[in-house]
Amino acid sequence: MGSFMPREGSTAMDKKMCWILIFLTIAGNVVMVQWTVEAYLGREFEQVVVYSGIGVVLAFIALIVYINWRKLEYSTEGHR
Amino acid sequence: MTNECKKGRNIKDSTSDMVNLTKNVDQTDDLKYNRRAFLKTAVGASMALGLSTVPFSVRAMMGIAEDEGERLEVARMDELPEGNSMTFNYPTESDAAILVHTVNGELVAYNSACTHLMCPVFYEKESDILLCPCHKGYFDVSNGQPVAGPPQRELPLIELEVENGIIYATGRKYRHG
Repeated sequence: MGSFMPREGSTAMDKKMCWILIFLTIAGNVVMVQWTVEAYLGREFEQVVVYSGIGVVLAFIALIVYINWRKLEYSTEGHR
Repeated sequence: MTNECKKGRNIKDSTSDMVNLTKNVDQTDDLKYNRRAFLKTAVGASMALGLSTVPFSVRAMMGIAEDEGERLEVARMDELPEGNSMTFNYPTESDAAILVHTVNGELVAYNSACTHLMCPVFYEKESDILLCPCHKGYFDVSNGQPVAGPPQRELPLIELEVENGIIYATGRKYRHG
């Protein structure tokens, strides 16, 4: 029982990190949507492509982090 | 002691408020609205936001190839005395524009759709300013920058040339100044 504790602790920390990263991607994507629309209306097309690219990358980061979180979450809860 | 007895004891027979509080617990809601579901929704929101920018970049990539710098005759100088303005369309028929001969003798032209909610802007000779009457947005007539009210972006500038007393529109700039 005691041998599980450090592993549980680090997993909890990893999961917390996943939550933080996902919320950071939301914040980043909100900013990217705002900047993309602003650049589009200002006909700054090169900027639109850059901001949109960053938005897509952040979306994929969110997906990858989510997959990682799901792996941690369901593997630890399965022992109960 | 069967399972049926236990159920009966907790739900039907007891008159205790504390026991009956369990009636408030909805297992379906517990399974639907929990920490995991919240995080999944957050990931969905993040992905939806990020991917919602894609149509803009697709349109932008198509727009990069567009060339709209066509030369168009707008008016004769003698038709437009100082302190007056006139409307025209540039670069297409659906892009309303305003040509202003300011009280200082300057010739300027902008697309007249307000950058707030697209209402047309008008030239106010008395205060030498462009006014959007819908929400009282004001633009500096000399550079098209917003000076008061809700608009945040400048009016698109139409570049002008005067040749033999005729004013021509030669191009458009969205971000300027």
